[in-house]
Amino acid sequence: MSSSTGQQPFLKVVNLSWQVKDKLILEALSFNVHQGEILGIIGPNGAGKTSLLRCLLNHQSDFHGEVYFNNKKMCHYSPKLLAQNFAVVAQKATPIFALSVFDVVRMGLLPHKGLFSVDSEQDRHQIKLALTKVGLILLINSAYHVLSGGEQQRVLIARALVQKAEILILDEPTNHLDVYYQHQILQLVHSLGITVIMTVHDLNLAAQYCQRLLLLNEGKLISDDTPNKVLTSQALTDVFGLYCHRDQDPITQSPRVSFYLNAPHLKQAAQTTQTKMSSIT
Amino acid sequence: MKKSRLIFLALVVLMIISSALALTFGPAEISVGEITQCIVSHCSNPIHEMIIWEVRIPRILVGIVAGMGLAIAGAILQNTTRNPLADPYIFGIVSGAALGATIATITLADQLTVALPLAAFLGALFSVFIVVAIASALKNPEQLLLAGVAVSFMLTAISQFLLYLGEPFATNRVLFWLMGSLARVEMNNFYIIASILLVSFLVVAAYHRQIDALLLGDDSAKSLGVNVSKLRLLMLAICAAITATVVAYCGGIGFVGLMIPHIVRQFIGVTTLPLILGSALVGGSFLVWVDVAARTAIESAEVPLGIITSAIGSIFFIAIMLKTKTK
Repeated sequence: MSSSTGQQPFLKVVNLSWQVKDKLILEALSFNVHQGEILGIIGPNGAGKTSLLRCLLNHQSDFHGEVYFNNKKMCHYSPKLLAQNFAVVAQKATPIFALSVFDVVRMGLLPHKGLFSVDSEQDRHQIKLALTKVGLILLINSAYHVLSGGEQQRVLIARALVQKAEILILDEPTNHLDVYYQHQILQLVHSLGITVIMTVHDLNLAAQYCQRLLLLNEGKLISDDTPNKVLTSQALTDVFGLYCHRDQDPITQSPRVSFYLNAPHLKQAAQTTQTKMSSIT
Repeated sequence: MKKSRLIFLALVVLMIISSALALTFGPAEISVGEITQCIVSHCSNPIHEMIIWEVRIPRILVGIVAGMGLAIAGAILQNTTRNPLADPYIFGIVSGAALGATIATITLADQLTVALPLAAFLGALFSVFIVVAIASALKNPEQLLLAGVAVSFMLTAISQFLLYLGEPFATNRVLFWLMGSLARVEMNNFYIIASILLVSFLVVAAYHRQIDALLLGDDSAKSLGVNVSKLRLLMLAICAAITATVVAYCGGIGFVGLMIPHIVRQFIGVTTLPLILGSALVGGSFLVWVDVAARTAIESAEVPLGIITSAIGSIFFIAIMLKTKTK
């Protein structure tokens, strides 16, 4: 259950467990993340996806097990050093006060700045460059809270670029977004060329944009492999409790899954489709 | 020149003009020419010289730093708790000061000139100590505010109980002090409040990026390397020191910490450094004018500052609510 690449893992998780009172949230998870890889974490609600991200970021410090980054235990990194290496794009956060797009992206400078520091011309240039890369340079002075969900996500990705982190962590980046913005955000993430760890609800998007997937259920790691091997009808039916039909997207060639509530009735339809497809091919 | 620099320059000019004009108001009629002569060289009338140097100038300077302090404390609290209604008074600081003043008035009636501000200061610090103790056991900022409100009610109840048992004279004295005034301030008070302000400003300037990071949520700030709970406690301690010092010398002056940052945010922005600077300049000028109004509104009597600031503050908030409703 690990990546097949031979290179040294960038991030290594060994036997990670997290318990809150009597409830086991994460149970003995072990996996590696390699440099430049896009890793998707999938699973039903309550599977432990966001909890896993919180443990990786040291936001939850009472977990058992070890997390290594560049062969050094994460607990040995200061919060500032961690912030220089990990950038987070969280689920939609609405600020109370009217922050501008510039203000939000400027926050990315924080891990690289000392006390009393003020912005240099170079810093401002960097902020503009990041906003150009995510296609929002024209909105630099706009209020952040009036932007659409997709634009807000892109602003946070620009902040991550200014942060110059090695690993980008995204928690449900496509939540609340329409189909156009879902693809736009994931295409943007894909084009950055840095290591990405993200939780995703939409399995077809995960299949299309992630090179590797972790399937979690009730805090346990069910499988860790390429989308083709993780997204099997049997595994998904077991985990999500719905009948799952899996085929291949004719255009992207990535796995494509559909779920049905009333399995016996639809099983027939799915088999008919499969027969038709095999006769065509 | 950039727009923000022009705004700051205008605010500095406003403060200088406000201070100069405030010098001309008072029961003793002193001409502008004589005031200028007194400041530049010597006054022809020694009584006027005393009034200007020992009454009006200390009063204006203390008014400026008190207004600056309350506005800065409000701005820091609002940004660190992400709550536009956060105010130094919500954290029980004035209730603590009132308890200290009550105890001093009842037990040390002979030495009140020194004892009252000192006891008020200690009382304010005591209340903040309790709020901080509760806050360190809690995690989110909403609970921090609730802890402040609870402590405020508890300390007010104790003060009222002591006043109920005490003499009517003590009750009058505490109530009058709570309404706020600059009538008894001295140059010494200015130096003390200004020193606290300078230190506080340096600490806020050092941590301004961390405070800004809080504006998008605690988790967002943590992911940028900010130790959120430590930062919040440090800022609460700073606000307590500023407010306790101001309240000790000037009594209770409400609404400045709530209202001024709210206004400044509209035309300067929400990030910490410009907000603090703008709030300081506007707050200082505002209290100078409130004090002028307090001195001149009623002939041969002074209206307590707290009454004027509360009246302006409440009208201001009703206006904001109406404006928001019509949008």
